[in-house]
Amino acid sequence: MKKRSITLFINGEECNITVQAHHTLVHVLRNQLNMTDVKHCCGRGECGACTVLVDDDKAPGGRKAVDACMVLAAMMDGKRITTVGGLEEDGKLHPVQQAFIDEGAVQCGFCTGGMIMKSVSILEKNPKAKEDEIRSELEGNICRCTGYVKIVDAVKKAGSWSTKR
Amino acid sequence: MSNSRILPEFELLVPQSVSEAVDMAAQYGDKAAVLAGGTDLLIMLQKGSATSEYVIAMGEIEGLDYIKYGKADGLRIGALTTITRMVDNNTVKKNYPALWQACKQHSAPQIRNIATTLGNVMRASPSGDCSCALLALGAAVMLESKNGRREVPMDDFFINYGKTARKVDEIAVEIVIPPVQNGVVSSFMRMTRTNFDLSKVNVAVQLDLSGKTCNEARIAVGAVAPTTIRIKKAEALLKGVKINDALLEKIASVVSKEIKPIDDVRSTAEYRRDVSAVLVRRAIKACL
Repeated sequence: MKKRSITLFINGEECNITVQAHHTLVHVLRNQLNMTDVKHCCGRGECGACTVLVDDDKAPGGRKAVDACMVLAAMMDGKRITTVGGLEEDGKLHPVQQAFIDEGAVQCGFCTGGMIMKSVSILEKNPKAKEDEIRSELEGNICRCTGYVKIVDAVKKAGSWSTKR
Repeated sequence: MSNSRILPEFELLVPQSVSEAVDMAAQYGDKAAVLAGGTDLLIMLQKGSATSEYVIAMGEIEGLDYIKYGKADGLRIGALTTITRMVDNNTVKKNYPALWQACKQHSAPQIRNIATTLGNVMRASPSGDCSCALLALGAAVMLESKNGRREVPMDDFFINYGKTARKVDEIAVEIVIPPVQNGVVSSFMRMTRTNFDLSKVNVAVQLDLSGKTCNEARIAVGAVAPTTIRIKKAEALLKGVKINDALLEKIASVVSKEIKPIDDVRSTAEYRRDVSAVLVRRAIKACL
């Protein structure tokens, strides 16, 4: 098939669309669904800017972080997908988003969406993740403003909030 | 179109079972590429280093995501088992440290969540970390076609750069690793600029230390030839002897002579010669 009709559950909303077989998930999210909160950067799984969370029943929290440029949209039929735009609940930012603001972990902002999504998955796996673990888990996310110290601080802060609750 | 982020068009085939996939492989032959995780294939299609009219995407086949261990059968890893699953698996960690280390140091978390262990082998890149560890562990690849299944030892699997023993009508379904024996130990090491990079050199070693001397040794080195290779001259030096520093020096110099590295974007031949010798020495020491 050159095209496939699929159902995605994006940020909790059911979405029935027909996608081109050769289009990646990031391409469909941005160009068909106008979800520009997901950034399309290197296109080859090196920078992490397009990171989203996808169903994985064996992963902690039931979802895993993937590069949306490295999967075909047509193979995502039936999957739940969370983007940075879908993290807030009832108008309240996700703790990781709030921590990024509080720590000033944003410079140009292009990597931020992907950084936040990967950080959410780190803390879902281990809310007490220490600096070493956070840094090695963030290896697939590149910040060319090089604001890594504040990013790591923000993840630690969000982790400390979630373990207190 | 090279270097575009948009893939060239292809016809997508989505088999729901291995037998369907095998039928498709038989029908489309070399016009089809097989996609498991896709983290290599999508990039190759983008760059134009691979072209394909058809893509057989394995992702919806049930029952190919498994890691099974039995004392008689050894370890069996399904075609859709991601590298993350390997890192999270305690049997792999305990019984096959070389493979576990290779998986742990492989690429980056988001890629490990998509990429498969078997896919790393099928890519037949000389720098494949899983390939290197699996060669040292004496693993085999299970291929399935309409004629049934055949198991190809890793020793015979890599034909050339990017080329494996898989025939176009076959689908790789499983990795098989012999069961662990008492006293058999393994280790893996690699050299990169940052952890995320592909290996400049990688090394995996398996030693049978069940007796007073080393009974058997397998040494695999990657990114120093068109395929991952074994250094059989160095293995022979280890057989039936006690390992000491003088022997390790001798082995290191044999390794440097036996490999055929090249200069490329990641490193130079000169550097690879020096570093592979050091890594082999360290990997053997790590087993002791």
